[in-house]
Amino acid sequence: MIQIPPGAFARPGTSLEFKTGTWRAERPVHQRRAAPCHSACPAGEDAQAYLAKVEMGDMRGAWETVVAANPLPAITGRVCHHPCESACNRAHYDESITIHGVERFLGDEALRQGWSYPVPIPSADAPRMAVVGSGPAGLAAAYHLLRGGCRVTLIEAMPAAGGTVRTAIPHYRLPPDVLEQELDHMLALPGLDFRLRTQLGRDVSLEELRTDHEAVFLGPGRRKGREWSADFAVPGNLRTGLQLLEAWVAGGTLPEQPRSVAIVGGGNTAVDLARVLRREGVEQVHLISHQRVPAPGVPADDAMRATYREVSQALEEGVTIHEHRGVRRLILRGERVVGMELVHMKKLEDADGRLRRVAFEGTETVLHVDQVIPAIGQDVDGSGFESLVRRGYMEVEPWWGTVDGQSGIFSGGDARSDHGTVSEAVGDGRRAAAAMLRYRAGKQLEPGAPPEPIPYSDLNLSYFETAPASKEPVLPPEQRLGLEEIEGGLQANAVRHEAHRCLSCGDCLACDNCWTLCPDQSVLKTREVAADGSHYVFDYDFCKGCGICAHECPTGYIRMIPE
Amino acid sequence: MNEQPLHDLDTLRARQPRFRGLESGHRACQGCGEALAARLTTEAAGPDVVVANATGCLEVFTTPWPQSAWRLPWIHSVFGNTAAVAAGMEAALKQQGRATQVLAFAGDGGTFDIGFQALSGMMERGHDVLFVCFDNEAYMNTGVQRSGSTPHAAMTTTSPPGELRMGKRHMKKDILSIIAAHHIPYAATASVAYPSDLRKKVRRAMDTEGASFLQIHSPCPLGWGHDGAKTIEVARLAVQTGLFPVIEMERGELIGTLPIREPRPVSDYLKLQNRFRHLFASEYRARKELEHLQAIANRNIERFELRGVGPETYDTEGADTVHRGGDRWA
Repeated sequence: MIQIPPGAFARPGTSLEFKTGTWRAERPVHQRRAAPCHSACPAGEDAQAYLAKVEMGDMRGAWETVVAANPLPAITGRVCHHPCESACNRAHYDESITIHGVERFLGDEALRQGWSYPVPIPSADAPRMAVVGSGPAGLAAAYHLLRGGCRVTLIEAMPAAGGTVRTAIPHYRLPPDVLEQELDHMLALPGLDFRLRTQLGRDVSLEELRTDHEAVFLGPGRRKGREWSADFAVPGNLRTGLQLLEAWVAGGTLPEQPRSVAIVGGGNTAVDLARVLRREGVEQVHLISHQRVPAPGVPADDAMRATYREVSQALEEGVTIHEHRGVRRLILRGERVVGMELVHMKKLEDADGRLRRVAFEGTETVLHVDQVIPAIGQDVDGSGFESLVRRGYMEVEPWWGTVDGQSGIFSGGDARSDHGTVSEAVGDGRRAAAAMLRYRAGKQLEPGAPPEPIPYSDLNLSYFETAPASKEPVLPPEQRLGLEEIEGGLQANAVRHEAHRCLSCGDCLACDNCWTLCPDQSVLKTREVAADGSHYVFDYDFCKGCGICAHECPTGYIRMIPE
Repeated sequence: MNEQPLHDLDTLRARQPRFRGLESGHRACQGCGEALAARLTTEAAGPDVVVANATGCLEVFTTPWPQSAWRLPWIHSVFGNTAAVAAGMEAALKQQGRATQVLAFAGDGGTFDIGFQALSGMMERGHDVLFVCFDNEAYMNTGVQRSGSTPHAAMTTTSPPGELRMGKRHMKKDILSIIAAHHIPYAATASVAYPSDLRKKVRRAMDTEGASFLQIHSPCPLGWGHDGAKTIEVARLAVQTGLFPVIEMERGELIGTLPIREPRPVSDYLKLQNRFRHLFASEYRARKELEHLQAIANRNIERFELRGVGPETYDTEGADTVHRGGDRWA
């Protein structure tokens, strides 16, 4: 046996005695950050989280992640204008993920498979909460209160649930069977006492609700048409846009068959009605708006309030939009409208920096139409809570929905002056429910805001490849005559493709990059998910803080922080 | 952020699903490309190997007596004779009828310059040895002196830019052509930015009978003057610009390349490094040298036909895409 003199050999792996971690000036940490889709979602859905579950093949888990924020994905997947996709980081790389297609698929799948909501059965002595109005805001509030272990009394003045979603969204956008199924699914939750044809102020007073319940959520929506006249002339057959739209959605017909119509307004009601009229065979449908057609690059305060998708589909279907126009006067023959005088208009800043509408003299034009329909918006019908409505709206704290000066009363949805979409209403309901639970527990409400999204520049794009987005089939304009749904939804393989395209912004996707690229063997891989949700732990005894793992993390999940 | 680790790190370390040839606690600088290259090489080569290691950074930072970061039999040779030591070990193992594979590790100094004649002899005699050159393009261990591998126009302490020269006057030695002239069964280049490709080449070389050679481009944050966090990015850009062609040869003939999907301008690579800082001065000589380096990259792309034709699975964009759950291709 040869004896090796000490000094000429060392035992294997003995460098572990030397802790190189002492050299470190910065340490890597795992930090989950909100993906831009999550921050942008008015309903508060975390699309990144459910796309990850879809990619792992866990469709039910994905749906449960969706309904942790929004109980109505089959509905919102169809009607939402998906700000998540506008915010998607992948838009800077190739194309956004078709998030709404995935949401819709999950919603439909839950209805098809009969997955039950992950909501506990409330105990007999659970706190009781009241919700007024079963539109998206009220439904979301009721659902999240049930999730929080409460019993909920939900009252609805109409003979059916759904609010605006039922009465004012055309069937080509939201088929009635989907609506019914999803509402029934949610309304069957245990602990929910749902009372139809119960109107606040008539059948029950706000005081009674407050006495019997710990807190009250008001989701009345906006249903009272605003007064409208042009130059004090009101045609005899005047109907508001919402009235006509509701009549059509409920019965499928319109009371009159004019040849040409002018709709005044630029909101979703105006655009939906314009498209309905085209379907009903009205040859000329004019939309008169003070604003412009929304498009990327058009500032929000100069764009029509209707969503871009709806406006562009309306244009495809032959609706004429008159941008930056106002109605100066109506031309009447007897009580009937035969035309109207339009004038060019624009919003300009005045000396105080406030926007003011200016009509430019000498730009008047005449438009001959058989009917004029104002769709200039609605006010809150404050029956039963008149004192809480100011200037036609509910004034609420923007995040938690507390009503000014009222303890235990919360509100949200269309009743707010600044919200007008289904997903915003769902978000309002969700946050108000959280506020009601805190109110009951006697906790303070800290000011809230959407989470700060991770910027595109914090991702490492070297580890992804471009791939085209899956597009859902869209009915060509010439075939959009009836009630058939225009957008066809994504198939299961396309949904998985979209999930695979997701960049997983700000969240670990267990890609092994940090583990593979650490020169110091200081990233250790775990078999089960570690405490922070990743599959890796840092061995700070040896990590020198070089920052390779953070720089090469494709999703920006690793950050370097000073020691 | 969880300050309290749930896992017992010693147990976890022992259970890592890969062979740990080079253990933590070594004294390499932060972001050392060579340490990463050696770690990747040894984990792919597996436990049944012996290593001869030339003098250099790798030898110094892994074995500060009385400790060693290696978890495999390892011997330190003098600077010039690694290949000869490896050849001797190979002959002895063969004589004993053992299947243990022999690796020889050297830096670019120990390969291109000082160790070259021993390497040439080992290859010429056809020993079944994998010679790995960790190419960090200068004598880093002794304080960044230029070597035969230092690229043209790079600044080192012995090739400073100034009145007379813009960094190193000479070209980077075309070591692959010299290796090719030995007609050994397998020779390849690899980069730490493409770990799957690197590990695949190590395994392939290990499976080859006879001498094989692997040159691994390993950025040196200290010597090249870049942020240690950007080691991988620098290495990736060297490949994507065409300045470091990633190729494979059998018997001296080109058999495969890592195609470049979209070649990047060399300035993207150069501007990250202090050693090329003088090339971005606003003077004619600097502009000329920049164009010169671009021409060298273009020639590499032309010579090895590196330009891909459309997206490929294993090109510079596709070779290292990540997937949920790890699952790298090699």
